[in-house]
Parts: sequence; structure tokens; C-alpha cells
Amino acid sequence: MSHHYIQFTDVHYAYPNGYEALRGITFRVTHGEKVALLGMNGAGKSTVLLHTNGLLLPSKGEVNVGGIPVTKKTAPGVRRAVGMLFQNPDDQLFMPTVEEDVAFGPLNMGLEMAEVQRRVREALARTGAGGLEKRSPFQLSGGQKKSVAMATILSMEPEILVMDEPTAELDLAARNKVIDIISRYTHTCLIATHDLDLACGLCPRSILIDGGKVVADGPTEEVIARLKEMI
Amino acid sequence: MERIEKAITSLQRMQGSGPESGLHPLCLFVITVAYLVAMLSVPVSAFTMLLWFALYPVVMAALTGLDFTRIFTGSLIALPFALLIGLFNPIYQTRTALRVGSLAISEGWISYLSIILRSMLSVQALLVLVSGKGFTGLCRSLESVGMPRLLSTQLLMVYRYLTVLLQEAVDMTRARRARGYGRRHLSMKMWGAFCGQLFLRTVARAEAVNRAMLARGFDGRMPRYQPVRQRWTLRDTLTLGASLACFALLRFVDISRIFTHLL
Ligand SMILES: Nc1ncnc2c1ncn2[C@@H]1O[C@H](COP(=O)(O)OP(=O)(O)OP(=O)(O)O)[C@@H](O)[C@H]1O
Ligand SMILES: [Mg+2]
Repeated sequence: MSHHYIQFTDVHYAYPNGYEALRGITFRVTHGEKVALLGMNGAGKSTVLLHTNGLLLPSKGEVNVGGIPVTKKTAPGVRRAVGMLFQNPDDQLFMPTVEEDVAFGPLNMGLEMAEVQRRVREALARTGAGGLEKRSPFQLSGGQKKSVAMATILSMEPEILVMDEPTAELDLAARNKVIDIISRYTHTCLIATHDLDLACGLCPRSILIDGGKVVADGPTEEVIARLKEMI
Repeated sequence: MERIEKAITSLQRMQGSGPESGLHPLCLFVITVAYLVAMLSVPVSAFTMLLWFALYPVVMAALTGLDFTRIFTGSLIALPFALLIGLFNPIYQTRTALRVGSLAISEGWISYLSIILRSMLSVQALLVLVSGKGFTGLCRSLESVGMPRLLSTQLLMVYRYLTVLLQEAVDMTRARRARGYGRRHLSMKMWGAFCGQLFLRTVARAEAVNRAMLARGFDGRMPRYQPVRQRWTLRDTLTLGASLACFALLRFVDISRIFTHLL
């Protein structure tokens, strides 16, 4: 089991308005590794993450997930392996009820109804969102939305977990739940965050980006020191 | 604007928020359609007949445990349109239709009132319909009786897009008001900018939602989550039969007249 890696090779990306958000990103996250992606606002963290499952495709360079180059064709397959938590939970939740939202991924994977139900229950319980099943995602608080969004990913039991600001907006209890989930997760994990305590506690390694380029990659403590220099 | 915002949020909250009626969604759907047909086909002159139809939302709310005040407030959203549409009736139709004491009420006023009442009742009936199972439940049940999957997916997407649009409008109104220092009205130019912004933001949001759907394996078809499949029960048949009979009675027999005869 060494195939759940993420490899970026000289990835460039320009948004449709012409803004060059990524200018040659290269890194590799190997199987089972937990890596934090650090950087200031607008550094390009979210843009990098969107490349890991083909939601954005590089204008130059290559993204490779588990030996498969991510292209328009391979993207659907890659998305089964890569579970992605978005920065804004409002984007993540789109079904009329929490329960249906969490079931959305597993159903698309073609699982049996009994299995889907089991996963929905389990995922909601693990993120502490049990009891919200019948509620409409529109009516939840920001933190509750984030917990439910997390559950929508966990229910797919992904092999690679990619998260954008998993602890933003969460209260202490919910934050602890997320930290617990991540620390128990044995597969590959890439986390974009401003939560330095989280990075220190969970990720032995960090990657620092600035202006769409990798400026540091190594042990989290050293990378954080570098980040603090920049500020 | 504030009133629109309120109506919008209450509409949004309404969907699927009520307790489930226990009726098969298809049963409720057929009842609603029958009600709309019967109610909208009442002749303009038979205003008293129409009044009886106003009972339906109240009765349904009581039966299914919905809050009628919320349904009523929700239906106020139709009011501005109805008020505008019927505006000229009282001016052009001046023949006396009804006398209450010494007060002569013209045909125009009667038809104006009937337009307003009808539009509010229509919205109320629709709200009763979506409050239980929600729009999704409705699409699903139509699917189960043969509506093409593609069509229901499209409807659900349009619905999803509309809620995104409304959400953005509400957010922007709030943001504007927070910085508007009490200025209540937008100038024409500001309206233009507002609408342009709204469009751009909605497209961006819709794109983000689409990304989230793709990320979780969306392949163009909405999956169906039905842990327990709802069956058509005897209760549905009975409710449907009773409702249809009631509507027919209200539509073809002038109950008010019978009452006045009896008294
Ligand atoms: N849709 C878009 N169109 C054009 N430019 C964009 C778009 N989205 C992001 N950008 C730009 O790309 C750059 C990188 O954005 P990105 O969202 O990846 O930053 P980030 O590191 O995630 O920041 P944050 O910490 O604030 O979330 C920013 O300068 C941003 O302005
Ligand atoms: Mg970001």
C-alpha cells in the first residue's frame, strides 16, 4: 500500500481572469504522511488543493495521484480516492437535509442502501453532528456546517484526505473532534491551515507557499519559524 | 427590500421544515393540483364560493401539524404581484355586483379581491405541499410515477441554483444595509450595480457548488436517498377520495346559498 501519494511537478495555474495563482509548485506527499500546507492569505493554498482531485487542471506541469496523472478523463476516478473538505462549508452542502448530503457521496459510489445508512450514521457521530440528520444545512451555524461538511467526506471513506481550514470557526469541542479524526486517520492527509497548533500537533512535515511558489518544505517547526520570519 | 428578504428567508426555511404529513407525497401532490384547478376555475362572479376554498390551507395545516401563520406570512410574497395585476379592475368594471346595507360594491372590486385571494391561496397550497417532504420529496415522488430522471435532476438543479441566488441577494442586502447608514432606497444606478454584482456572485457560488458536487462523485444524476420507501396506504386513498369529493362539492354546489336558504 504505497500508492496513495500526491505528486505535484512544476504546476502552474492561472485563473480565468488571468491571475497567476500558482507559479511552479513541486512537492510530493507519500503514503500515510500528514502534511500541513501553510501560507498567508492569498498564497495559493486553496488553489493547490483544488488541483489534487482535478477540480482545477494545471495550465502547465503535472499532478499525479497514486500513479495516475490527473486529467479531465481520470478526474472522476481520482475523486473517489481523494476526499476534499472545502474552505467554505456553504459550498460543500447542497442537499435539502443533512442526512441526504452525507449520503450523496456514498450513493454516487454505488453502495448498497444499508451500507450507505451505516456510513451516514457513523460519519455524523464521529464529527459530533449526530442529531442534525433531518435539519436543513441552511439553518445550521457556521461551525455545525463545518462538522457536517466533514461528515460528507468521511462517509466516502477516502484514501487521501485533503482539507482546507478544517478547524476555522469551530469551538473547542468541535476542534478537538476534528483533531481526533485526523490523528486516527492512517492514510495520506494534506491540510491547508492557519491553525499553527494543529499543524505542530498533527503534522510532522509542512510545506510553506507564498505567491504561488513553494518557499519552504520540511519539519513543521522549521517551516513555522520561516513563516514567522515572513510576517 | 427588507420585506423581500424576510419573505425569501421564510420561503427557504419552509421547504421541508415542517413535520412530515405521513401522506404519500404523490397523494399530496394530486390533492394540491385538484385544489388549484377547482379553486382557480371558480367564476369571478361567485365570490362567496371562493371564500370556502380559503379553508383548505387552514384545514391542511391543522391536519399535518404545520403552523398556519407561517404559511400565511409566506403567501404574502404573492401580494405585491396580485395587487398590481388587478389594479385596473375597480376602475373599469363599475357595475354594482353586491349590496351590503347601503354600500354598493362594484364588479371591479369583487374581481380585484378575487384575484388577490386566488393568488394568495395558490401560494398557500404550494407551501403546504413543499413544507412536508420539500421540493426534493416532490420531485422524487414524481419520478416514481414516471417523470424522467433527467427532468427531475434538472428541476432539482434549478431549485438549488435559485436558493443560491436568493442566499446571495440576502447576504448582499445585509452587507449593504450594514454600511448604508440608514439610507433606505437605492438609486437606479446603484440598483444596476447591485444586480450586476448579484449575477457575478451567483455564478461564482454556483460554480463552487458544482465543484463540491463533482468532488463527491456527481455524474449528472442526483442519487436517491430513501432509507425507508414510502408506500401508498389506505389512508392515502381515503384522504385523496375525501379531498376530491370536497373540492367537487365546493366547486359545483354553492354552499353559501344553501346555508342562506336554511336560515
Ligand atoms: N476565482 C478566482 N479568480 C481569480 N483569482 C482568484 C480566484 N480565486 C482565487 N484567486 C486568487 O488566487 C490567489 C490564491 O488564492 P487562494 O484561494 O488559493 O489563496 P489561499 O492561500 O487559499 O488564501 P486563504 O488563506 O485566504 O484561504 C489569490 O491571490 C486570489 O486572489
Ligand atoms: Mg484558501
